[in-house]
Amino acid sequence: MLKYLIKRIFWMIPLLIGISLISFFIMHLAPGDITTSEAGFNPKASEESRQKLLELYSLDKPVIVQYSLWIKRMATLDFGSSFASHQRPVFWQTRDKDGNITLGMIQEALPITLLINVLSLILIISVALPLGVISALNQNQPTDRGITLFVFIGFAIPGFWLALMLMYWTGVQHTWLPISGLQSIGHENMNWFGQIRDTLKHLVLPVFISGITGLAGISLFVRNGMLEVLHQDYITTARSKGLSEKRVIYGHALRNALLPLITIFGLSIPGLIGGSVIAESIFAIPGMGKLFYDAVLMRDFPVIMGILTIGAVLTLIGNLIADLAYAWADPRVRRGVVQ
Amino acid sequence: MLIKARIRMMYRYINLGSIKLAFIALLTPLIIAACGDSSSSNQTNNKIDYTKNYPASNSGTLIDAMTGEPSGLIAMIAGESAASAIASNIFNSLLKYDKNLELTGELVESWDVSNDQKTITFHLKPNLKWADNQPLTSNDVLFTWQKVTDEKTRTPYGSDFKLVTKAEAPDANTFRVTYAAPYAPALDTWAGLHILPKHLLKDQDINTTAFARNPVGSHYYKLEKWKNGQFLKLTRNENASQGQAKINKLLSRIIPDKAAQFLELSADNIDSMGLNPIQYARIFPARPDLNKNIALYKELGNSYTYLGFNLKRKPFDDVRVRQAINYAINKQEIIDGVLLGLGEPVASPYKPGTRWSNPELKPYPYDPNKAKALLKTAGYEDHDGDGVLDKDGKPFTFEILTNQNKEREMTGVLIQRRLNEIGIKANIRVLEWASFLGRFIKPKEFDVVVLGWSLSLDPDQYSIWHSSQQAPGQFNFISYSNPRVDKLLEEGRLELNPDKRMKIYHEFSKILLEDSPIVYLSAGYGLTAIHKRVRGISNPAPPAGIGHNTYEWYIPSAYARNEMSDH
Repeated sequence: MLKYLIKRIFWMIPLLIGISLISFFIMHLAPGDITTSEAGFNPKASEESRQKLLELYSLDKPVIVQYSLWIKRMATLDFGSSFASHQRPVFWQTRDKDGNITLGMIQEALPITLLINVLSLILIISVALPLGVISALNQNQPTDRGITLFVFIGFAIPGFWLALMLMYWTGVQHTWLPISGLQSIGHENMNWFGQIRDTLKHLVLPVFISGITGLAGISLFVRNGMLEVLHQDYITTARSKGLSEKRVIYGHALRNALLPLITIFGLSIPGLIGGSVIAESIFAIPGMGKLFYDAVLMRDFPVIMGILTIGAVLTLIGNLIADLAYAWADPRVRRGVVQ
Repeated sequence: MLIKARIRMMYRYINLGSIKLAFIALLTPLIIAACGDSSSSNQTNNKIDYTKNYPASNSGTLIDAMTGEPSGLIAMIAGESAASAIASNIFNSLLKYDKNLELTGELVESWDVSNDQKTITFHLKPNLKWADNQPLTSNDVLFTWQKVTDEKTRTPYGSDFKLVTKAEAPDANTFRVTYAAPYAPALDTWAGLHILPKHLLKDQDINTTAFARNPVGSHYYKLEKWKNGQFLKLTRNENASQGQAKINKLLSRIIPDKAAQFLELSADNIDSMGLNPIQYARIFPARPDLNKNIALYKELGNSYTYLGFNLKRKPFDDVRVRQAINYAINKQEIIDGVLLGLGEPVASPYKPGTRWSNPELKPYPYDPNKAKALLKTAGYEDHDGDGVLDKDGKPFTFEILTNQNKEREMTGVLIQRRLNEIGIKANIRVLEWASFLGRFIKPKEFDVVVLGWSLSLDPDQYSIWHSSQQAPGQFNFISYSNPRVDKLLEEGRLELNPDKRMKIYHEFSKILLEDSPIVYLSAGYGLTAIHKRVRGISNPAPPAGIGHNTYEWYIPSAYARNEMSDH
């Protein structure tokens, strides 16, 4: 088992290098660089100044040289500084000689996105699980059809449109919820209870929107898993033993139906750090999606590479955790791994 | 999974533009429809009567919204408009433009130009102070000049200042610069350079300094708080060099989405935002409840849209063809259709109403018959009867190139239709900005572009029109070359006397209009909505726009919002 784990971890290194190499070259295939943004098309900015900027950022060198410079920095876990954002560190805070701390861009955006995604994942699971079970138990009956229709409407409805409608309804017509942003303006002057309440009120709509669009996947997964399990022999055995229907469904069927969900959660770990550009723009939330989108538009290479690298590491770790968790939960898989 | 997530993200990016449009289509009827049930609204602001008159007082917070966040507040390094918008409330320049866009002193009391026009001496106002109570002297100005011209400074704006051969600070209130040759745009460049404090920056690397996020300036306001991605809060600077502004605090919220900004404005959570023509001309007139509390302002914008010909390509090297296309395009139709009437036609690259704009020039009228006649003299007729003009057996067809910008795309479609009517077949191609610039504009691989230029405050447009500025990456990418224009542009740079300079640029605009290397299409208005609690705003706006006297704006204390409110 330990040997298997070490082998898997060592395999991650060449994989990571491969991923970073491909991302780096694809990024450079896109035309333009930091000096060719639309705002830079200004007759006051001369061509010589732009050349100077290219040299300062080593953008005049061949791509392969730039890549080796990048990987050299990455070897010391230095993610570099943003081109566009006044040299802010990409990943973690730095302290200058006078003790001024500059916060890292990912350091600031990541917790916000994580909070929203974790909350909406919790929302999705707590709603999708019962929905999936109810659907399976009432297969092809009006209840099942109704639930399926509902989750598909949630999946198909344009999130930005629903968001704007809800913002208008809950924020303008009624003043139940704040419209956009993460905190109210007077946030600092509130007590801790008020601050938590304030932040939660701001998170209601973003979490709800990302929850409703994600409901379909998990609930259909649970429904189909349940249906498969309910036709197994051991369920028939359990029923013939005279167990109560409650025990049969929640004690025997559901436990086995949930196994594949482990894989899904493992694979959704990297998704937790990716925010939605549209939701973050509409709700004015400074999260990872907006950060990545702006970096792509500005051709801010260190930020793009920083986010992609962290995403790649989390994906690999997520895969590993999913495999391990699966082996832990399912003895059949465990035995296969050991052999 | 990662790849899937990326593809999903890409899909989102691709759709962002079209989604915005779709949203407008979907939301507009709803907002208009919703005006009927405004009675159900329980907003407190509806109960306040904002039409009463109160004397000016020193109070209140003005909350506005911006779509982007500044990267730093040292404008020469940050470069983007969000940065200069905030920084210009914190830092002063030596000179500024007044409400009629004439240069006047900001930090300086007066300035003299030597007889040979090569030396400019600035006399600073006495007893200037930084917000931290340190004296502001000519040494700070000299220091700022050294920084902007320093090779190590990552600024794209250094080249104008590198023309200064000698800069000196003979005493605390005098700053003198000498140029190798007279350079008329110099005064404009000094109006755009924010003066930085030497005592705080002399030991710092200006590219990375924490000062950019915690600046100390000399203007009306100082930075109180900057919450990344959320807001910047400015508070009144007690040591301000220009006297005291009336509004206590300025708060700029960062809300990237215009629709969300509009909802915040409707709910009275922000006081001011820039509007688009649909919001101004369609939504506001249909919403009496909004008009009750919010006033709309219209000012001449800072840019114009044009159709530019690649003069290196046939047949655009023929002035008759260019003029014919100019006559064939209906500019009023573009203003009405694309800008919903919220714009003006222009006939020179200068802001109408300022001294540089030649009042005698009129845009080419819409006259398809004249266009056809001109094309006939240039040899274009429909010989084969297929509805498309041709010459030497080749049909007159070309491609209109533009970047992803809804207004420019719509403009292109209107032009395409008008050209089709006189027998010219035009195709439209829309590209993402970086490839538009890198693959088409720089190598000059285009027929015709629809693009915009800013209406500059200084009349010097050497880098756009002079024949020497045609190398890849330079701004005369349409390859305009006219010896008379070259000569006028050179003379204009050497003449510091505003009246003599005006004559030069009036002549230049006249030749440019006759030559028609570009077709001026429209200059859109800047549209702003401001809550009626804010008073003292000039309406109608002077040439410099409503923002010229923000320090005189005030919020009567009876109307000042409670900052502790929930929203």
